[in-house]
Amino acid sequence: MSNNSILVVGGGFAGITAALEAAEVGHEVFIIEKNPYLGGRVAQLNQYFPKLCPPTCGLEIQFQRIRNNPLVKVRTMAELVSISGTPGNYIATVKIVPRYVNEKCTACGECEKAASTTMENEFEFGLCSRKAVYKPHVHAFPMRYVLDAVRCDKAELAKIKAACPYDAIDLDDQEKIIEIPVGSVVMATGWKPYDVKKLTNLGGGHIKNVITNMQLERLAAPAGPTEGKILRPSDKKAPKKIAFVQCAGSRDENHLNYCSYICCMASLKHAAYIRARDAEAEVVIYYIDLRTPGRYENFKNRILADSKLKLVKGKVAEIVEDHHNRDVVVTVEDAVTGIKSREHFDLVVLATGMQPSVAGQKLGLKVPQDEQGFIIGGEESGFIPSGCAKMPLDVMKSAQTGTGAALRAIQSVSGR
Amino acid sequence: MSNAVRVQPDLKFVKELQEVGGESLKKCYQCATCSVVCPLSPADDPYPRKEMVWAQWGLKDRLVNDIDIWLCHNCGTCSDLCPRGAKPGDLLAALRNMAYRKLAQPSIIGTWMSSSKFLPILIAIPAAIYLLIWVARAATLGTAFPLFDAAGKVVATGGRVWYGGLFPGDFTIDPIFSLLFLFVVFTFYKGCASLMQSFKSLPKTFVVGRTKEPCFCKCVVDTIKNEVAVHSRFKECGQEEETQSRVKGHLLVFYAFLALMVVTGTVAGAHWGGFVLHKMGLDGVFLTILHAFGDTPLSLFNPVKLLANAGAVALLIGLTLLTKRRMGLDNAKQGSSFYDWYLLGMIWTVALTGVMSELLRLVCWPGMAYPMYFFHLVAVFMLIGYLPWSKLGHLVYRTAALAYARKIGRIPMI
Repeated sequence: MSNNSILVVGGGFAGITAALEAAEVGHEVFIIEKNPYLGGRVAQLNQYFPKLCPPTCGLEIQFQRIRNNPLVKVRTMAELVSISGTPGNYIATVKIVPRYVNEKCTACGECEKAASTTMENEFEFGLCSRKAVYKPHVHAFPMRYVLDAVRCDKAELAKIKAACPYDAIDLDDQEKIIEIPVGSVVMATGWKPYDVKKLTNLGGGHIKNVITNMQLERLAAPAGPTEGKILRPSDKKAPKKIAFVQCAGSRDENHLNYCSYICCMASLKHAAYIRARDAEAEVVIYYIDLRTPGRYENFKNRILADSKLKLVKGKVAEIVEDHHNRDVVVTVEDAVTGIKSREHFDLVVLATGMQPSVAGQKLGLKVPQDEQGFIIGGEESGFIPSGCAKMPLDVMKSAQTGTGAALRAIQSVSGR
Repeated sequence: MSNAVRVQPDLKFVKELQEVGGESLKKCYQCATCSVVCPLSPADDPYPRKEMVWAQWGLKDRLVNDIDIWLCHNCGTCSDLCPRGAKPGDLLAALRNMAYRKLAQPSIIGTWMSSSKFLPILIAIPAAIYLLIWVARAATLGTAFPLFDAAGKVVATGGRVWYGGLFPGDFTIDPIFSLLFLFVVFTFYKGCASLMQSFKSLPKTFVVGRTKEPCFCKCVVDTIKNEVAVHSRFKECGQEEETQSRVKGHLLVFYAFLALMVVTGTVAGAHWGGFVLHKMGLDGVFLTILHAFGDTPLSLFNPVKLLANAGAVALLIGLTLLTKRRMGLDNAKQGSSFYDWYLLGMIWTVALTGVMSELLRLVCWPGMAYPMYFFHLVAVFMLIGYLPWSKLGHLVYRTAALAYARKIGRIPMI
């Protein structure tokens, strides 16, 4: 008798969609998510395609569906260790990292006030810091704090525990290994922004006013480090001249040897963020080829109608800092006019691409990956890739692959 | 589209280019990374992006008239950072190879010099000439490996190895190499003329503050004095350590050749000068001095010989640096063509056979010394005689192109 349950690895948009679609036709589904919250990369965006909704818009509905469906079981801070068994009868071994905060937490924030240790905020891509005990982000689901207990000393931990009025801090919480019997596995492990430190000629990581497109999303987000004001990191001033560098690491055999699909659209969207906030700001997008899939062409035409937005064909290949005012100097050849010039900008945004989260990792599963780390098969043994684990996609297409993956997973467990 | 330009691609030319080292050019997607990262490329119409698109489109006219291929010193930074592995550096090298192949007449030598399969023909020409001389001289002297006494007579034992005895300079070396030299000079003259002709279509750059174009001679002097002699632009080409070892190696080889040229010139000048003075009956102290520099073999402590040996050592060190660098190149980023290996191999052969000839003469092993000297003659003949069609042709073509580039304002006078 084969197992009817489905494991979804990754609680981003694709994973949530796959889980809900399968659960709503009667399958028991387990979502395991590495982060302390669901929603994945979408949760970090200011607005997402195709309709430029804020992430809460789509995610809230999904979370509601999860809450209302007892067949969906969510484990956050959970990592897949291994999978044993045969197709239709798998045992997934999952490691649960201790959160040190139990379900009594109301996210009142008293513990955070008591904590003193601070560290880089990963959710904000290092644009600000956070306390050792923190709410992952403003719309986190589950809405519960997380404690980085290993980063604090005993006295601070005691102070944090004492500060909680609901007895929600559980310092005895321990790492757990659980086993989940499932019939098939949806791999929705998602993507990570390509490491800009590798883009040395573009000043990645070492020039203060060179940021990534995902960092710009956070700057534009109302709940982000600047409360939605786009300010450059060095002096917190609103930039007047902004450049976007397309294909920063994408379509490049020295970095990511493929097109990341959505960065062109993202930069057009970012230009719109900037122009909506500042009528004076000038934006230049340096591109090789502009990719506007399907109906996004209309979006492009709308954005490009703005006279303060300029498109230049030519890849920026050298970025240095002007040490006097911390402006950014980019060197680029306009491939249409054939003129190589050095241009000064207040802020430069690198349109870094998507890298599969599992790139460079040995999965230890029977799933084939291409040399870039994308999962490109495994359906025959009940492993169904979905979302950006499969290929670079936008949110809409990610959701579509999630639905597709649910169907494949159902077929996989029912057909045996 | 009233101003549409119809592209007339020359597909044969594209294929030819791919054969001489530009095989990856079709991978380019025109991002212009190469033009930006090139440390030498100027701001207006930078290279090598435009060359990449011309090559893809088969715009032969543009490419064969392009002066920018001579502005590139091939550090390979463009190819290292190229996102597609299209190797723009290799394309420019391939275009230069194409120039070596096509510029000089007779073009059949250009064809022979383009691939290793013709190497036997190239070797056979000088080998046949000197083998014939060797056989004829052996018949006269009664032995193919003669030993000579101090008076220059062949002896059975106790004599010395004397290359001038087997291959007399006056009849077998100087006339042949003089003719060869004149042939090469004439070929270069014709080649440069057609190179200059090809540049005629280039636009002239308006240089602020310059009232009129400098004369070509001035440009040549500026190029040689401020660029060739000190490798000024070559030094700026590439920042990495390996590139700098390339500069060191090239400088050593360049000055070693210069030293050896001075040596050859001095010896030939002293020898023939002495001959003329003697014929005119002007014997005296001056003639004795000329004899000291003109009669080979020279003493090891003769300043000219010291210069020759220093040159040989510099040549070997320089060659080692250059060869090590070329062998260490990542082939995924920068390839080496037959032109590159031919030149390195040729100079190695000249240097090693030269040094070995001297050593074998000093230890007096005629059975090995004369064959070694024979190989040395063949190698020197090949290096000099085929120079306009080899990569070494850049010595003349690049200098001419850089001077012309100064004239039209493409690069500034120093």
